Amino acid sequence: MKRALLTSVQYLLLAAIAVTTITPFIWMFFTSLHPPNAQIPTMATLFRPAGWHFENFTYVLTFAELPVWRFAVNSFVVTTGVVLFQLTLCALAAFAFARLHFRGRDTLFFVFLLTMVIPAQVLIVPLFTLVQRMGLLDTYAGLIIPYPYLSTAFGTFLLRQYFIGIPRALDDAARLDGCGDWRILWHVILPSSKPALATLAAFAFIWTWCDFYWPLLATSSTTMRTLEVGLSVFSDAYGGTRWPLQMAAAVIVLVPVLAVFLVMQRFFIRGAVVSGLKG
Amino acid sequence: MRVIAVVSLVSAVVLLAILSRATRGRAASPPQIVLRVANWGSPAVESSFMTLEREIRGEFERQHSGVRVQFEQIPGFGQYAPKLLMMHVSGSVPDVVALDASSAAVFINNGVVCDLAPFIARDPEFHLADYFEKVVQIFRRDERVYSIPLDFTPMMLFFNRKLFDAAGVPYPQRGWTWNDFLHTAQMLTTPPDQPGAAPRQYGMHFMNVMPFWVLWLWTNGGDVLDTEGRRATGHFDGPRSVEAVQFLTDLMLKYHVAPTIDEGKAAGVDLFRAGRAAMDVKGHWMMIDYRADGLEFGVVELPTNTGRPSTVIYAAGLSIMSKAQHPDLAWEYIKFMTSRDVQIRRVASGLAISSNRQAAARYAGTPVEDAFIAAVEYARAPWGATVERYPVVEGLGEEMMEDLLRSRAALGVAVELHHAAELIDAALTEP
Amino acid sequence: MKHRHPTNWRGYVFVAPATIYLAVFALVPMLLAGWMSLHRWHLLKDDHPFVGVANYLTLARDPFFRNTIGNTLLYAACAVPLGVLTSLAVALLVARQLRGVGLFRTLFYIPAVSSQVALSMVWIWILLPGEQGLINFCLDRLNAWLGTGIPTDTNFLGRPGWAMAALVAMSLWVGLGPRMVIFLAGLHAIPEPLYEAAALDGCNARQRFWYITLPQLAPTTLFVVVTTTIAAFQLFTPVYMMTKGGPRRTTDVVLYHIFNEAWQKFEVGMASAQSYVLFAIILLAAAFQFWIMRRGLREEAVQ
Repeated sequence: MKRALLTSVQYLLLAAIAVTTITPFIWMFFTSLHPPNAQIPTMATLFRPAGWHFENFTYVLTFAELPVWRFAVNSFVVTTGVVLFQLTLCALAAFAFARLHFRGRDTLFFVFLLTMVIPAQVLIVPLFTLVQRMGLLDTYAGLIIPYPYLSTAFGTFLLRQYFIGIPRALDDAARLDGCGDWRILWHVILPSSKPALATLAAFAFIWTWCDFYWPLLATSSTTMRTLEVGLSVFSDAYGGTRWPLQMAAAVIVLVPVLAVFLVMQRFFIRGAVVSGLKG
Repeated sequence: MRVIAVVSLVSAVVLLAILSRATRGRAASPPQIVLRVANWGSPAVESSFMTLEREIRGEFERQHSGVRVQFEQIPGFGQYAPKLLMMHVSGSVPDVVALDASSAAVFINNGVVCDLAPFIARDPEFHLADYFEKVVQIFRRDERVYSIPLDFTPMMLFFNRKLFDAAGVPYPQRGWTWNDFLHTAQMLTTPPDQPGAAPRQYGMHFMNVMPFWVLWLWTNGGDVLDTEGRRATGHFDGPRSVEAVQFLTDLMLKYHVAPTIDEGKAAGVDLFRAGRAAMDVKGHWMMIDYRADGLEFGVVELPTNTGRPSTVIYAAGLSIMSKAQHPDLAWEYIKFMTSRDVQIRRVASGLAISSNRQAAARYAGTPVEDAFIAAVEYARAPWGATVERYPVVEGLGEEMMEDLLRSRAALGVAVELHHAAELIDAALTEP
Repeated sequence: MKHRHPTNWRGYVFVAPATIYLAVFALVPMLLAGWMSLHRWHLLKDDHPFVGVANYLTLARDPFFRNTIGNTLLYAACAVPLGVLTSLAVALLVARQLRGVGLFRTLFYIPAVSSQVALSMVWIWILLPGEQGLINFCLDRLNAWLGTGIPTDTNFLGRPGWAMAALVAMSLWVGLGPRMVIFLAGLHAIPEPLYEAAALDGCNARQRFWYITLPQLAPTTLFVVVTTTIAAFQLFTPVYMMTKGGPRRTTDVVLYHIFNEAWQKFEVGMASAQSYVLFAIILLAAAFQFWIMRRGLREEAVQ
């Protein structure tokens, strides 16, 4: 009896916290459907706007001076670029650390781990200067390549641990068939590492998509802005007015990453846990 | 199968990248040249002025076939200069930019905008003498001209003629003093209906906006910074400045001729516009609103405590970014926008005074307009035209003023000014 | 035992891209920051004179930077303990449930993967004064329900102390999910036999919690505390979007201050010096936490 009471209290508490977590998103979504010039809806008027304005989304997407569709394209290009680039770097290096033997291997790995200590904030100012000197500011290359938040070392570490766990018997079988190192990586290791690769890709995708600081600095033309930065410019442009339109833009920014998260959450959460327990 | 998926994904990304790059802020393939023109403001705001400007730009395009003017507005309060400078650092800049005198220093001091003197020298059609010299001077360093001014306004004192008439108070005259002003304000302040309530009518409206109230320091012979614009201590907290700030705070806290911050907020409206304050310090642009409200107003120079009048000129000009892709075309644009006929159209609404003398003359002749133009004689350039971090100074000054006005500052005006001056020094010190 | 293998030169080839990448984009900037911090370096000016440690000395005297450090430490001091405790509490709640664990986990995680910019925009709404802001709206309903007279027109983002409190609250809301997930994993890793043995010994629930759960969770807790602290020092987007350094510079935290220094004032030399100071603080904080927790663990072990 007491147990049941306790359980219901716990459920109630959790439900309350869940409501607190969800309410802002619900408000965001419903506000985006209000008429563009409406006042900020209160909780009372939230669900009863003067008409449902789904065209807010098309308006925001095609708004000439602040083309949200363009921001979305940029985000997509940059995020995919970063994910592919980092996965490539990390997979190659992790393979070398896990499977190949060469002098200085373990020392080099230790140096890799050391770089994880450097917080990204310390790097941003000189990185900016560096990228400026390279002439890569306000370009895709400047956004994709020097991505300071994704510790390449972390990705390498993650993959290396996983690669080590793959039974060498598979390698040996492939070698008997005449496969060289490269083919072993491509045909044996990578196919067996899909969970780790997916985890890394999920991490990288969400981190890069949601990143604000670096794209804020690395882009200055409106046409090069990513969604995060573009959304802030959008918010600047409207100031305290036209909240429904601002929220429509916000919803557009949120939906892709939420979709990716819901689909990949298994990997994402497991990855967070793995790094936590190992750390 | 997987390989195909990966390959198509990668090619899609690459394709998108190429497509997007093709349309990125650069000139498309000839014959169209894109002239990028930047201004502050928000792309979301529509007004008749914006429509007018768009028409004018269209005319420029018609006069220069093969040219498209891409007008970019950079939103964000106080973000215009930093964002433009970031573009400069990145190397991808607009060709023509509008420059606000109050934040022009960083552009001028660091060669972010071109020296236009060579353009002027090469161009027989353009005469710098066509423009008010004082205003041009704001954007000049010796022989180098960094911006051609578009329009400007001195700050003046507006008064409500009807309220003056009703109280039987004579209109303020040129050469009037602080004492005259205080006396006038007191006569125009009606006592409240109940004791302790706010007066029904104030003699003076006051806003804690340092670009507006710094003038009171100047009309007392004080100032924010030394002549070089490097230090505040010794000047912002000097005796003349202290006296001026004391006078201002007394208006609200001692003589009650101006609304306190809370009273102003409670009213919720611009008290001068609403006809509940008899005087206010504002610029030319407010006349659009005043006329729309049917306010009968007069304009006079600010009262002075030194025997000489003083005020500031706030101006905007057009400049060419040093990394612009089409400098010559940019120069044509600037010539066009500052030419007499275009200027006459642009300032028809009364937004500001045209920097083009002939265009300004078109609207002169009324006492109000003449008072503004006469002020050019004795007006000064704003500090922001020469001191790079002046906006920070204004922020600190307004914080201090707010503390004083809320009587949070128990230590008195002199101490608060000194404290603010020290903070300003810390903010201005390199780096 | 170390096996001696012939050196596979292909190893160098495979490892080269990542190594070059880290060298160019991690090590070089790291050193460049130090180099820049020793110069007076303005992005728009060509002259970069060497000034030695002058930047650091200026920072030591600078009232604004001292304010920044104070704000950052205050924020961390509030956000970290509150964040860790609340997520631990929620994890304990969730761990007991057999049903719906996955749902709660997903739900609580959503703010953490969402766009910080969008979240900041929504939080501006949450903090508005009057009945439009969610918090004030709830206070208003609370007043109606309980008959209290709590003011409902507080402009949280406009009042010096409240703005910081709002940022702390937001960090709790966002960080709950990830922290909870890690605690859950740690809780599940505690072997059941420990609890059974304790129950046999006659321990009640509270004793089991204090003497088994908490000590077993120590490494996990350490990890959460350290990562939360590091995250606290990285606060930027909400400040940029909501307060711009806050009413009267009360929410001017280090990362925002550096941003201001480098890309509003364009003083990258000074900003680099500030970055190094931040780096030192993060290292110190992490080391300090390690030391405390290790000492706590050792004392537990001795007992």
